[in-house]
Amino acid sequence: MDGAHDLGGREGFGPIDVNEPEVPFHADWEGRMWAISKTTGQPDWTIDWWRHVRELIDPVDYLSRPYFDSWAQTQIAAFIDSGVLTMGEAISGKAEGALHEPQPALTVDEAVAAVSSQATRFDQPVDAPPAFSVGQSVLTASAGHSGHTRLPQYARGRRGVIHAHHGAHIMPDKSAAGREEAEHLYSVAFAAQALWPEANRNDRVFLDLWESYLEPAG
Amino acid sequence: MTSFDSTKVAEIHRQLHAHLPSDSALRVKALESLLVEKGMVTAETLDAWVEAYSEKIGPKRGAHVVAKAWCDADFKARLLDDAASAIRELGYLGNATAHLKAVENTATVHNLVVCTLCSCYPFSLLGVAPNWYKTAAYRSRAVRDPRGVLAEFGVSLADDVAVHVWDSTAELRYLVVPQRPAGTEALSEAELAKLVTRNAMIGTDRDLAAQPGEGA
Repeated sequence: MDGAHDLGGREGFGPIDVNEPEVPFHADWEGRMWAISKTTGQPDWTIDWWRHVRELIDPVDYLSRPYFDSWAQTQIAAFIDSGVLTMGEAISGKAEGALHEPQPALTVDEAVAAVSSQATRFDQPVDAPPAFSVGQSVLTASAGHSGHTRLPQYARGRRGVIHAHHGAHIMPDKSAAGREEAEHLYSVAFAAQALWPEANRNDRVFLDLWESYLEPAG
Repeated sequence: MTSFDSTKVAEIHRQLHAHLPSDSALRVKALESLLVEKGMVTAETLDAWVEAYSEKIGPKRGAHVVAKAWCDADFKARLLDDAASAIRELGYLGNATAHLKAVENTATVHNLVVCTLCSCYPFSLLGVAPNWYKTAAYRSRAVRDPRGVLAEFGVSLADDVAVHVWDSTAELRYLVVPQRPAGTEALSEAELAKLVTRNAMIGTDRDLAAQPGEGA
């Protein structure tokens, strides 16, 4: 979707806080939200659905509220959509419906081990051979669509060169709609000047793009 | 059952916007107490996850990988060929690093990593991303004005040093391998690891100090 989240190349956001203290969490609630998101995801959610739910936050809220606040709203909205929570529960903070069997508590070492076990792979075999080869010139799609997609606006309708092929990976536009199908994935190199004329002629921008975002460049 | 329905979720967001408390800490506190009451998670489990990412999992892991690559040419070759397999050797493979690409800085190339569409980051290797990495300012400017961004971080590049910006648009994650500082031949791998800053592994730092604690 052409939402506020698609930020590459947008102007007017000002300087970066380069003096931010180097700590994982800047407030207790940020750590709690991080931990909630790592432990309460639902089996039929996909990473792309979760990202799409976050993109669907009102654009003013998306751009103005704190980062982990957007994770809270995403998690709550996705719970309500899936029927895990009711809107009434989310607003009141009180459980109304059926309770789950309490989960056993994890230790820190078990949490660290769980991080290791979350090395989720997204590549899958497909029958079709890759349509493009390394070094080939490609043209990106000029239009997006209203669902989730990973072709940013700034790289649409642009010429690039296939830099690497990564096999076939689960296609996010479909995964966000609940369908897990794989498609060939490539790293595509763009001359920065092909994206923005004012860029340094030596600079390049690399994006990881699925085959259906690309067509051969003449 | 999840609907995968954008229109339905947009309406849920509008209702939440209207009815949730504005304060983020209150929102998350209410969510935690609700999930605990429903038996979906315990407060102790959340404590354990916060501690895991505060004390055990963080940029020291990435610094270890970089220092080992500086000291061990075979490991470096494996890292550049298949970074996920290489970090598995050190026990760092995990959340968001199953498809990892290491990109090496040289005298003529500087690498910079961003996620313009959300906030993708190699969690099991570098821990929780800095807040600036997730801001609109960094996400919008890193692709279009990388040299301006680098200048704000105190990195000035000659025009003929090429900037390679990696926008994490798929499930590949990126680790920048910075250049080993000159004059560090006598340092051990553990001492070298102390020179590797978190920002150098994202690409917003370049010239590392030759002694720990010296500002680069």
